[in-house]
Amino acid sequence: MTAPEGGGDAARDALSRSPRGVGAPLRRKEDARFLHGRGRYVGDIRPAGTLEVAFLRSPVAHARLLGVQKPANGLVFTAADLTEIAPIRANSALPGFRPSDQPALASGKLRHVGEPIAACVAASRAEAEDLAAACVLDYQALPAIADMLAARAPGSALIHEHWPDNAFLETRRDEDLADLDAIAAAKVRRRLRTARQSMAPLEGRGVLAEWDPRLEQLIVTTAAQMPHVTKTGLAECLGLDEGQVRVVAPDVGGGFGYKGILLPEELVCAALAMRLGRPVRWLEDRLEQLTANANCREHFYDVTAWADAKGKLLGVAVDATVDAGAYSAYPFSACLEAAQIGSIFPGPYVLPRFRFHTVSACTNKPPILPYRGVARTGVCYAMETTLDALARQLGISAQAIRAANLVPPTAMPYRNLVGKVFDSGDYPEALRRAVAAVDVAAVRARQAAGETVGFGLSVFCEQGAHGTSVYHGWGIPFVPGFEQAQARFTPDGVLELRVGLHSHGQGLETTLAQVAHEILGVDPARVRLVHGDTALTPYSTGTWGSRAMVMAGGAVAEACRLLGERALAIGAALLQAPVEGCSLRAGAIHHGEAQVTLDQVARTWFRSPQNLPANVDRGGLDVTAGYRPDPDTGTHSYAAHAVVARVDTETGNVTLEQYVIVEDGGVLVNPMIVDGQVLGGAAQGIGTALYEEMPFDTEAQPLAGTLADYLLPGATEVPDIRIEHMETPSPWTRFGQKGIGESGAIGPPGAIVNAINDALAPLGAEVLDLPATPARVLAALARAGRA
Amino acid sequence: MKITLTVNGAAATVQVEPRTHLADLLRGELLLTGTHLGCEHGVCGACTVEVDGAPARSCLMHAGACDGASVCTIEGFGEDAVMAALREGFSAEHALQCGYCTPGMLVVARDIVLRLPDADEARVREELAGNLCRCTGYRGIVRAILGVLAARRGAAT
Ligand code: FES
Ligand code: FES
Repeated sequence: MTAPEGGGDAARDALSRSPRGVGAPLRRKEDARFLHGRGRYVGDIRPAGTLEVAFLRSPVAHARLLGVQKPANGLVFTAADLTEIAPIRANSALPGFRPSDQPALASGKLRHVGEPIAACVAASRAEAEDLAAACVLDYQALPAIADMLAARAPGSALIHEHWPDNAFLETRRDEDLADLDAIAAAKVRRRLRTARQSMAPLEGRGVLAEWDPRLEQLIVTTAAQMPHVTKTGLAECLGLDEGQVRVVAPDVGGGFGYKGILLPEELVCAALAMRLGRPVRWLEDRLEQLTANANCREHFYDVTAWADAKGKLLGVAVDATVDAGAYSAYPFSACLEAAQIGSIFPGPYVLPRFRFHTVSACTNKPPILPYRGVARTGVCYAMETTLDALARQLGISAQAIRAANLVPPTAMPYRNLVGKVFDSGDYPEALRRAVAAVDVAAVRARQAAGETVGFGLSVFCEQGAHGTSVYHGWGIPFVPGFEQAQARFTPDGVLELRVGLHSHGQGLETTLAQVAHEILGVDPARVRLVHGDTALTPYSTGTWGSRAMVMAGGAVAEACRLLGERALAIGAALLQAPVEGCSLRAGAIHHGEAQVTLDQVARTWFRSPQNLPANVDRGGLDVTAGYRPDPDTGTHSYAAHAVVARVDTETGNVTLEQYVIVEDGGVLVNPMIVDGQVLGGAAQGIGTALYEEMPFDTEAQPLAGTLADYLLPGATEVPDIRIEHMETPSPWTRFGQKGIGESGAIGPPGAIVNAINDALAPLGAEVLDLPATPARVLAALARAGRA
Repeated sequence: MKITLTVNGAAATVQVEPRTHLADLLRGELLLTGTHLGCEHGVCGACTVEVDGAPARSCLMHAGACDGASVCTIEGFGEDAVMAALREGFSAEHALQCGYCTPGMLVVARDIVLRLPDADEARVREELAGNLCRCTGYRGIVRAILGVLAARRGAAT
């Protein structure tokens, strides 16, 4: 049993290289149930006597709510009926942050279309919807704030009336860059927009709440990524102690951030279950999801960048606004995204001078939630398209300008000018490999022949698994600490792992079993992961921030190591050998030729304790261990995306001909699963780049109510993406692994729009806003006078 | 109204309301929860089942219209060799993550394999256009189907 403290080449070199251990593309343990339709999602669970809820939701974006006339018969609850629910408060300690109260059911004011107003309860959803349709709303419309840039205009209606203007927070870093005009060889300014999106996991949200009178406990079964944080939020808003709340997250049909949030609907169902003494369930339908919860990615950037003749950046100034919607969602708050822009805008580059100003604007739209990549997708888009604009002005290649600015491997670990620390990697090599994987000369030849085809790049890094030292400063409702895992043997020798975070498609049942195999040599088939239930697992902030494999992987490794030590002592006693002379290998304790299996050790502890040594560890074969990397500033995976895109100047249609990703996620615990994460993320990024958009009209009415209007990329839109891996171990994590789950979704908009603009450059046209739909491409051509 | 249909080889007589769709009947009444709902307006394909031998969107079919029909859901393919090969291929190619789209994908994939033995990658992708997956980026799904097609062509020659 090797127990390096973790990190770097040493950790990688110590790996067993077992075909079932860390580094193996092991097939997933969870597949069998999904392939046979035996997955179990919230919507599949319906205890006898369950009542269904339909929500009466706001039809308008901004209004004073004067009253709700309920139907004569039927169970309808408004805010006035459910006064036991305190409003959701997700504050931030960042100076100047303005807290908002998000009521579970609207009271006094309506602040976005789809805001829940009343819960209508019946035996079936259809009957509950009938009740909602029979309610009559009385409201007085107010001017709606539909655009984040207009939100702070003098005289605007105020969404939260005690605020001086419609902004949650502003952040800034002042630096006078005026002198750069005189010395720079190139200066560009771009104003760029990204669209409001819906994360749109295929399974919507859903919640089943039950009150157990015996345990005096609320049991909330919910599609959640962060069950323990949801539990804390439920307890706080319902005035319960946390022992009275159990949150169960069964199989979750995709999350991407959407299911990391405490829902008003969860609070309402919980309160109703307690009141009515019956199970109460609400399942989000797609219309609710699209219209009431379109809640991510909408950014505006005004970027100015200066470079010398070689393309070396001299300075960047960015003014960014994020449309944070009407409320601060729990737990990430309304400011995480915009405030993050200041610290991540420099990206993977050496930036000598930097000025930023960010605004978390408050609008009459659903509260913003962090979507896979969080602000990085927008930031990468802004930085990468700005770099290409500089390169075009300087007459140098997209590769050259990046090569001139990427942090070199010799500088690692590297601390940039805003204090981000990059752990390891060779960023320029990723760029070289991505460019080499595409025949750029062929693209240039086609361009010379008059084809509107282009080559585009994006390079970025992704901070993942950042912990206490990073998050305590945000002062939001949670701070990740030591991640805990429990490892224990059952009497027949099955290894049970318990972790408090949850899988929503990542395959943790497999990868954490691989970690256990790596340490203890146990067969992954004999490892059982218990997760997604706060009653059965240690506290965790959950699955977010690309942290699961770093944090839970590290915690499981440590728990297994300690469990192995205890098993070793028992095994040595059974072998009648000194502990020092024994070793744990391949699931057994060995002494010379003799061995006892871990199964035998387990059986001895539980069923033949008379055979235990006198000095046995009384903790038994049950260990809880905590883990946090040191330092815990996070791992930085990174990638270079390279795209060849063809643009049809008649229709505005964009075709992705080639897509290459060179990715470095450190040591890959399961390369097959990592590829899946990267590919799935990239498909979402392609959606951001080309298709997905929730338009709002001037009254802040969402205009896409079905998946025929809100376009998710399908099998014909996502090309056969090629992935190449680099594997630079993180010096700070247990096996050298890095967080990589969000990475794929970050790079596509920058690389794709750069390819489009490369294709359009001979025509003098440039796309600035996302998604680059045919209409926007044609508009760009029209602006250039070419269509 | 009362209807009788065959579900996964067994006859079922059930009382349905006119507004109930087939997916709700399967999931709610018959407890066959392997059929999933992703949109309930015919776009995502998560609810795809086989009705009288062809894939159909169970969210768009009124249960009442299924009187006399024969329905096969993901729970009902038993030892079907094509389905078994697809399951194997899906796992080997990592064609599923959260698993929510998977039952609908498998029903459509089986139809592609049986109906279009010579389908190439472009054709497979076109045929999958009515089934959304938010997790995988489709590469594994496409490769799994192509793999089963290739294996069957190999076996046939
Ligand atoms: S649920 Fe039937 S097509 Fe989406
Ligand atoms: S695997 Fe999650 S939607 Fe396809």
